[in-house]
Amino acid sequence: MLFTLVNHLTTDTLASLVGLGAELVLCATIVLILLARMFQLTQRIDSTWLAMIGTLLALMVLSPLTPWDVTRSPVEMVSIGELPQVELFTGMLVHDGFGVMVKTLLLVFLLLLFSLIKLTKAHGKADSPDFTTLLLGATIGMFLMISTNHVLIVFLAIEMASVPSYAMVAIRRGDRKGSEAALKYAVYGAGAAGVMLYGISLLCGLLNSAHLPTMAMRLSELTSAGLSGSQTVLLVMAALMILAGLAFKLSAVPFHQWCPDVFEGATAEVGAFLSVASKAAAVALLVRVALGLGDSVDPSLLATVRSFLAMLIGVVAMVTCTFGNLAAFAQTNMKRLLAYSTIAHAGYLMMAVPPMLALVGVDNAAASQCAGYLGLYLAVYLLMNLGAFAVVAFLRDTMGSEEIRDYAGMIHRSPSVAICLSILLVSLIGLPPLAGFVGKFAVFGGIAQGYLATGDTLLAVMLLVGCLNTAVSLFYYLRVVKVMTMDPIDDEAAPMLVGPGILQRSYLWCVTLPVLLLIIGWNWLNVWIQAATSGLFS
Amino acid sequence: MQTLLPYLPSLLAIAVLLPLGSFCAILLGAQWLGAKGKFAGTLATTAVLASTVLSFFSAGIWFTAHPAGAVDHAAHEVPPVITGHGYTLATLAGTNVGINYYIDALTIVMFCLVTFIATCIHFYSTSYMHDELDDVVDQEALLEDGESLHRPGRYARFFQSLSLFCFSMLGLVLSGNYLMTFVFWELVGLCSWFLIGFYVERTTASTAANKAFIVNRIGDFGMLVGMMALWGSLGTLNFGDIDQQQGIFSQVRGEENHYALKVPDGMVRLAAGRQIEALALHATEPLTTEQLAAKVNAEMPVWREANLGYGLLIIAGLGIFCGCVGKSAQFPLHVWLPDAMEGPTPVSALVHSATMVAAGVFLVARSYPIFLPEVLLVVACAGCITLLIGASIALVATDIKRVLAYSTISQLGYMMLALGCGGWAAGVMHLVTHACFKSLLFLGSGSVIHAVQTNEMPQMGGLWRKMPWTAGTMLVGCLAIAGIGIPSVFGLPIGLAGYYSKDLILEQVYAFRSENPLWGSFFFAAAAGGACLTAFYMFRMWFLTFWGEPRAAKRFDRAHESPRVMVVPLVLLAILAVCVAWPAFSWFGLPTLSRSIEQARPAGIWADMHGALWHITLPEESKGHTAAVTSPVGLIELGAALAGIALAALFYAWKVLDPEDVSRSFHPLYHTLYRKWYFDEIYQAVFVRGTMALAHCASLLDRLLIDRLVDGLARLGVGLARLSDLWLDRQGIDGLVNWFAEQTYRLGSALRTLQTGSLRQYVMLIVASTVAMFLLISFWTLALTG
Repeated sequence: MLFTLVNHLTTDTLASLVGLGAELVLCATIVLILLARMFQLTQRIDSTWLAMIGTLLALMVLSPLTPWDVTRSPVEMVSIGELPQVELFTGMLVHDGFGVMVKTLLLVFLLLLFSLIKLTKAHGKADSPDFTTLLLGATIGMFLMISTNHVLIVFLAIEMASVPSYAMVAIRRGDRKGSEAALKYAVYGAGAAGVMLYGISLLCGLLNSAHLPTMAMRLSELTSAGLSGSQTVLLVMAALMILAGLAFKLSAVPFHQWCPDVFEGATAEVGAFLSVASKAAAVALLVRVALGLGDSVDPSLLATVRSFLAMLIGVVAMVTCTFGNLAAFAQTNMKRLLAYSTIAHAGYLMMAVPPMLALVGVDNAAASQCAGYLGLYLAVYLLMNLGAFAVVAFLRDTMGSEEIRDYAGMIHRSPSVAICLSILLVSLIGLPPLAGFVGKFAVFGGIAQGYLATGDTLLAVMLLVGCLNTAVSLFYYLRVVKVMTMDPIDDEAAPMLVGPGILQRSYLWCVTLPVLLLIIGWNWLNVWIQAATSGLFS
Repeated sequence: MQTLLPYLPSLLAIAVLLPLGSFCAILLGAQWLGAKGKFAGTLATTAVLASTVLSFFSAGIWFTAHPAGAVDHAAHEVPPVITGHGYTLATLAGTNVGINYYIDALTIVMFCLVTFIATCIHFYSTSYMHDELDDVVDQEALLEDGESLHRPGRYARFFQSLSLFCFSMLGLVLSGNYLMTFVFWELVGLCSWFLIGFYVERTTASTAANKAFIVNRIGDFGMLVGMMALWGSLGTLNFGDIDQQQGIFSQVRGEENHYALKVPDGMVRLAAGRQIEALALHATEPLTTEQLAAKVNAEMPVWREANLGYGLLIIAGLGIFCGCVGKSAQFPLHVWLPDAMEGPTPVSALVHSATMVAAGVFLVARSYPIFLPEVLLVVACAGCITLLIGASIALVATDIKRVLAYSTISQLGYMMLALGCGGWAAGVMHLVTHACFKSLLFLGSGSVIHAVQTNEMPQMGGLWRKMPWTAGTMLVGCLAIAGIGIPSVFGLPIGLAGYYSKDLILEQVYAFRSENPLWGSFFFAAAAGGACLTAFYMFRMWFLTFWGEPRAAKRFDRAHESPRVMVVPLVLLAILAVCVAWPAFSWFGLPTLSRSIEQARPAGIWADMHGALWHITLPEESKGHTAAVTSPVGLIELGAALAGIALAALFYAWKVLDPEDVSRSFHPLYHTLYRKWYFDEIYQAVFVRGTMALAHCASLLDRLLIDRLVDGLARLGVGLARLSDLWLDRQGIDGLVNWFAEQTYRLGSALRTLQTGSLRQYVMLIVASTVAMFLLISFWTLALTG
């Protein structure tokens, strides 16, 4: 008996390790970086390069087009559309196309971010090993968030992603603002984690399991038997508390207060990481948790749970989006403006989840398409937000200011930067023909598809609010463009003696051109993402 | 060499494309080509030199594979031709329209001719256009305040246009269908426009460029008509057969008909549309397509006998010729060529005498298989009139380049006359020899103009002492164009290039006269008289320029011999003008000019042609080479030339006769010639004024009727818009939008104050929000259920 169990565990673990290949490579990279600083010879190697190589290796091991199918023996590569959803490590994690897709986006983003760090001056060589280690560690946490299948892993992953983030915000020694921001971030994160843990314990206690599919099964048993009043209260309370934890990571209203302060205090590079990678992982986690609790073998049983979750997420999304856009209006600091823009975009990202929940059981193919639209939005958002933060970082290096009014006359001082930032901001608004339009159109298209299939008024309201928000966001993004192109150079503006160098400018163009040109041929990306998400609802 | 024959088209294509490459390089990279584009000249010259080498190499390949003189036309042997397909532009109704080529001895000869002369002229131009390297003060272009114009030099632009011209001209020669011909035809026209208008600030130059362009469009309109007639009836524009697809030539002169000209089936069918309809209608039972086609084929000989489709072929021929009239400056479209002399002199030498204007003659020669005798008679008439008009005006012109321009017109008339009388080889040969000596003469005149800074011959004189090389080479050119030669030495005629070709022309016209006395007599008188006039005006020019005492001392003192880079091309072309047509080359196994041309003679042009509508007979060319024709004609020609030279000497060298006196005595005639037969005035009055009057009427209609209507509508619209702007927009929509913007901004600012920055508050808010949300949900559910 014991032997069988041990044998079973061994084979399961060995097979699971392949599914965890990318994470293992990242871990190895961290170890390598830490070891490298111990020897005289290897000390000189800039750990950013090591991290980039590690990231590339991880990407290769992940193999986004033909990932490893661990159900086969021996393990072999299959095309992403045929990858089955499979549980790893006795159900702690799940390995599927959706996870591979989001992880790929994260790794690509990480590569771009490391290049950005090489091109800016904020994170110099002295801190480099620490910083890259933290960055990679947080990424591993996010990978776990993406592939979670167990409530404990949810909590552990969030903590694993958050704790390095706190440190990263504070990594610039002697920067009071950064330290303050990090402290706020950490305390706020601890508070949110506490609330979430309370919610988790309530839910697990009620459902007698922490394994998400098992929990869904118990829940369906409970609901079919009829819920008592106290059970309902408990369930709602637990769901709200777990959502509070997730909302903290997503910086969704009303758990967003940390976000502007942290973004202002952290460097733009860290801001880019928190704004893109953290959001991508959090929204993937939201999908996992919502679907894990709402999607069981017989979808009809959990309809009430799903509609409750959809309403909860939808309302929070709408509020977040509106609040972010409105609060961004009066900002004078570019990083704060981008923080609120991030909040608003988190709202748009969350808006992609309710149609998925609404479509489960009605039209599973359409539901997985909606997941694909979310992926498309993430891919586009990754590029344009990274570009915007990169501009902030470059300008901080050249003129030491992050105030919007100092950007005046940028079109004359550094036309490349002004043009790129204008394109990126207009893309963030989501105006055609830029890439932002593609993403936004896909997400709204998914909502419309859900509304047409189910007739849920929530979705219609969401569509309306989303469109209105797009119009509202026009104002504050274009204000920056106006300052850069039309306002005269202020005498008191921060001086820019030397503009961003050729490498920096070409980096900006490398990020901007895809945003500009994606509309010409975005189908390949869509095809890949749709293939990746096709197995999400089986 | 024979093994290289398959690569011939590629070699020639590279020769065509090299100048295009140079054009593109200069166009795109002018600023990198040295100061003021100094290396543009080198680049263009290198490109065209490479083309020349390739062309002569191709000629070597060709004449090794097909020795000149090996094709016996008396035995009705078909000339060797290479046709092929390069690139399909479009497939229309199953036929390809594309880039293809047609290579025969004529193509080869034209390639060598064009590239060689172009190379000489490129070298010459590098020195002649030297002024353009620096800023130029154009004395002839006056600004509004009377100052001379200062402008940057345009050295690079000159060579850029010249390269484009070389590309277009070579493409024209190589092209294997009418469409491609037309494209290159227009391209050479465009280059001509660029180059005539090179000194664009001079009103005369820009007007001349426009005139040339517009007059050529008239001819091109006719050419389009001809092409449409061919396309509509034959369904192809290809000259030769390509990949089993019959070209125009083999449809008109089919092998089954022993290459005799017959109206092609397609044209008969098109012309007999009504009869075919009747056939279909009168059938007792409905016919299938095949049955109808069989019936039509059965009827075909009858219809052909009734000359159905003959008119269509005439239209096609006349249409093509119409284009040639424009390009080759034939009467009545000859008016543009003299004005085209406003361009730089090397351009006049290359474009407006040796190559482009000869393209019309080339196209007539190329299209010869489809020309009916009636069409050829029109060609001959046009040529004859042009020859006389050109020669007569040249008698009194005082501008040295205009004398040469009118002489060009006259010589082109000769070529057309020869072609029109059935003298295919004679016309083509004159094209080649004329290109040699006329480019020589133009370059010589350029050298003179460069030295004395004027075009007016009355201000020259005695220049041979200052510039002996120029004078000598120009004398050779004059002798060549006059056609000096001895009819028979050791059984072979010996003379300068012009002698052979002019002799051939006169012989052919003589033979034509024996078949058609009425037309022929007139033509022969014109040709012989023209020969006399040619000699006269050429030597008048030479004497006025180089002989006697200098008439403008200041200019004479400044004059100097041109630099070597200008003299060497002159000498090269002079050698060519002397010996290009010598038959003696065959002793050394080289292809002679006449034999090379003879080899290209299209299939079927070896028998007499008879007109079906008019009674004319075009004698085949060998009839002119009998002793009964050659001996009188040779003497007449030599006599005419010598008489012309003697007369010129009497007037201008020995001063026995006073030109002033003669012009006063024949004042009306002199004045008519001096005003160029009033062609410009007549055209101005009839066409330009007529068009202007028509345009004026149209503009009146426009302004009085249509404009008022449109204005009224617009005013109405503006009024309405203003009304709606005032009420709807400003008050309603703007107010709403502004209100909304204000409110959102205020809300945004209010939300900003929520962010206090106090950590304690934040953590409190986590719990507070969760509880608040729970309460909200509870109340909502309660409200919904209760």
